Amino acid sequence: MVCCMNAKPDNEFDAVIVGSGAGGGAVAWRLAMAGKRVLVLEKGPWFSEADFTKDELACCRRSVYTPDLRDEQHVIEEREGRAWSATPTLESGWDFWNGNVVGGSSNFMSGFFHRLKPVDFRLRSEFGPIKGANVVDWPIDYDTLEPYYAEVERVVGVSGRVVPHAFLEPRSTPDFPYPPTAEHPVSAWIDTACAQLGYQALPLPRAILSQPKGQRRSCEYAGYCGSYGCSTGAKGSSRAALLDDAVATGRCEVRPHSQVFRLASDAKGRVKAVEYFDRDSRRQRVTAKVYVVGCQAIETSRLLLASTGPRHPRGLGNRYGQVGRNLVFSAGGVSHGRLVFGELDAERAAQARVVGPFLNRTLHDWYVIDDPKLGRIKGGLLDFLMGHPNVISRALAERRDDDGNLVWGSAFKRRLETTIRGERRIDCESFADWLPTDNGFVALAAGVKDKWGRPVARIRLAPHPHDLKVGRYLSERGAKVLQTLGAKDVVVSVSDSPPPNLVAGGCRFGRDPRASVLDPDCRMHGVDNLFVADASFMPTGGSVPYTWTIYANALRVGDRILAQGV
Amino acid sequence: MPSQPLPLPANTHHLTLPDELAAWRQGLLTRRRFLLASAGGLAALFAPIGASAGANTGNPWPLLAAVQAHLFPSEIDAPGAEEIHALAYLQGVLGDPRGDRDEQRFLLKGVDWLEDLSRQRHKTSFIKLDPTHREQVLREVVSTPEGENWVATLLFYLCEALLADPIYGGNPNGIGWAWLAHQPGFPRPLQDQRYGVLHER
Repeated sequence: MVCCMNAKPDNEFDAVIVGSGAGGGAVAWRLAMAGKRVLVLEKGPWFSEADFTKDELACCRRSVYTPDLRDEQHVIEEREGRAWSATPTLESGWDFWNGNVVGGSSNFMSGFFHRLKPVDFRLRSEFGPIKGANVVDWPIDYDTLEPYYAEVERVVGVSGRVVPHAFLEPRSTPDFPYPPTAEHPVSAWIDTACAQLGYQALPLPRAILSQPKGQRRSCEYAGYCGSYGCSTGAKGSSRAALLDDAVATGRCEVRPHSQVFRLASDAKGRVKAVEYFDRDSRRQRVTAKVYVVGCQAIETSRLLLASTGPRHPRGLGNRYGQVGRNLVFSAGGVSHGRLVFGELDAERAAQARVVGPFLNRTLHDWYVIDDPKLGRIKGGLLDFLMGHPNVISRALAERRDDDGNLVWGSAFKRRLETTIRGERRIDCESFADWLPTDNGFVALAAGVKDKWGRPVARIRLAPHPHDLKVGRYLSERGAKVLQTLGAKDVVVSVSDSPPPNLVAGGCRFGRDPRASVLDPDCRMHGVDNLFVADASFMPTGGSVPYTWTIYANALRVGDRILAQGV
Repeated sequence: MPSQPLPLPANTHHLTLPDELAAWRQGLLTRRRFLLASAGGLAALFAPIGASAGANTGNPWPLLAAVQAHLFPSEIDAPGAEEIHALAYLQGVLGDPRGDRDEQRFLLKGVDWLEDLSRQRHKTSFIKLDPTHREQVLREVVSTPEGENWVATLLFYLCEALLADPIYGGNPNGIGWAWLAHQPGFPRPLQDQRYGVLHER
C-alpha cells in the first residue's frame, strides 16, 4: 500500500473536523457560516431524510447505522471479584456503537433536550468531595454557556414552553422559539397525578420542530422517534439542522466513509495532518490550519491515544496520562408500568391507545435532593414516555415466561395477543450524575484490532455506588407518579450498567494540564491547533442527556477557533 | 453483532431497563459461546447422551417447517408459521451474506441433532411424529442449553417473520400486524431502502 498518493498541498482547508455528530457538525456550521473552508470526515455513510423509514429491521435489528462488530468492536472490562474481566463485544454482543453516519447519533436521538443547570458547573464546591469519585468544578460557569444554549434553541430548533420552577435555569430569552409538539392525551394523567402528589410536572423541551424551518418539515407524529432517523427533518440532528446548511454555503465538504486513524504531529507537537482510510481502505491524508475532533467520547480518546508523535510518545495530549480518563455515562434507571386497556374505562382506554404525539413531561423537583437521610446531594430529573412501539422487540419479550422458560405454540400466541393488543407500557426515566472514578476510562486494547489492523478501544467500567442511591431516590418518585395515574405492576429499576448512547468525558477540560487534557476553550493543552468538540470535554456529566450541551459548547468552541484566527 | 439475534430489551429511548438488562447480557454471552462451540464442531448435542450428529444433512427445509409449525401453529383466528411465510423468511436469514455464519451453521446443525434425537426416542423422523410426540422431543431438546438456544433462535426469527415489514418476505400483506392490531410507522420502507441495500450507500 502506498501512503498518501492523494496528499493535497498544505492548508487546503481552514479546518478539518473528524466526526459529523453534534460536536463536529456544530463547529463545521459555525466556521462555514463565518466564511471558513471546512472539511468534515465521517466514517459512516451519508443518509438523507429520504433514506429513513420506519423499518424496525433496518433501524434496530441489524447493523445498518453502526459498524458490523466483526469489523470493528470494543473490549469491555468489568469488575469480577478483585480482578477485571475483559470481554470483546463481538463475543458478548453488547454493542457500544451509536450511529456512525453523517450527523452521528443525533440522527437517532429522541431529542429530550435539557440544559445543564448552574449547579452542574460547580459540583465539587456545592456538594464537597465524594470518596472514590473524581468530582471537580468546571473551568467555565453556566453564564458562559447560556448564550449558546439560547442559540441552539433558534438554530437547531427546540420546541417547548417555559414554566417557572425552583430549578429553572436562568434564560436570556423568555421562551422557546417553537411551541411544544403535539401532546399525548396521557400527558394530562401525569399532570393530575403530579398535582395529587405535590410534584410539579413540566413541559419537556424537544429538539423536534413543531413548525417548519427552512427546508425542514415539522414533525408528522408517526409515533416512532427515538432510535429512528427522521424522515421529515423535524428532529434536530446535526445533519438536518446544521450540516445541510453548512454544505449549502459551498465552503463545507463532508466526506463519508472516511475512517480517521491518526492525527500526525510535528516536532513541535502541533498537528500537521489527518490520516484516514477511504471507502476502499486506501490511506489518505489531509491538512488544515486547525483540527477538530468529535468522534463521540470513546472513539475520540481512542484516536488521540493512537496518535503518537515525536512530542507525544504516549498519545496526543497524553503527557500526564489524562487522555481517556474519567469516562462517564448517565446514571439512573427506568421505572415502568402497564396501561391495560381492558381495565380502563372506554374514554381512558381510547386515550391510552393514541399513537403519535408525545408525553413530553419532565420533573425537576429533585435536581438537588435535600433529604433527612441523604442530606443535601446532587439529584437529577425524570422524563416520561410511552413504551417504544417497536413490535418485534415487544414480541420477543413474550418468548419467555416469568421463570425464564421458553413459551411456544398457542400459549405463546395468547401471550402476544394479551400484551401487544391489550396493553401499553409507560416509562419514567431518571437521569442522575454518573460519578467519574479512577477506574472508568478508555485505553487501547493491545490484542484486539479493527478491520484496518488498528487496536480497538478498551473501556473499563467502574460505576460508583453513590449513583445507585441517587437513581433509586429518583426512580421511586417516578414510580409513584405511574402508580397514581393508574399504571399496573409498576416496577422501580435502577442500574449501574452504562447506557452506551449517553457517554461523555475522557478528555476533561480544565486549567491544570496535569489534571486535564483540554484548556477551558477545549483546545488541547500544549497543542494550539487541536480542539475537541464532542462530549469528551465534560469533567462531570450533569443529570440530563448531553446533546444540547454538546451543541452549545461546540458553537462556543467554534467561536474560540475564530477568535484564535484561522 | 452481525444479525443481532438478541437485541436490547424493549427499546427505551435513553436507558435500558436494568432488570431485563442483566438477563439480556447473560443471554448474549451464553448464546455466543454456544454458537462458537457448536459451529466449531465440538460435541454439542441436544441429547444429554447419544450418538453424534449423523448423515441427515439433506434437505433441511421440511423439518424446519415442521418445527416452525409446531412452535407457531396455524389457528382459525390467528396466523401460524405457514401464513406468515416463516420458512421463506428463515431461508432469507440463512442466505443473508451479511448474516452471522456461526448462527447460520448452528441453525442447520440443529436440524441434524433434532432428527437424531427423534430417531433415538421414537424410531422415526420428527416430521412423522404426531403433535404430542413432537412436543415431547422439543421439550427434551430445550432441556440442554444448546437445544434451548436453538429453539429460542427459531422463535426469534418467527417473531421477525410475523412482524417485520413485508418487504423482507414474511408478514404478507401485514397479516401479523393486523392480527395483533399493530399500527406500523410511516413512511414504510421501499425495496431500495431495505436492510442490505442501504449498505451500498
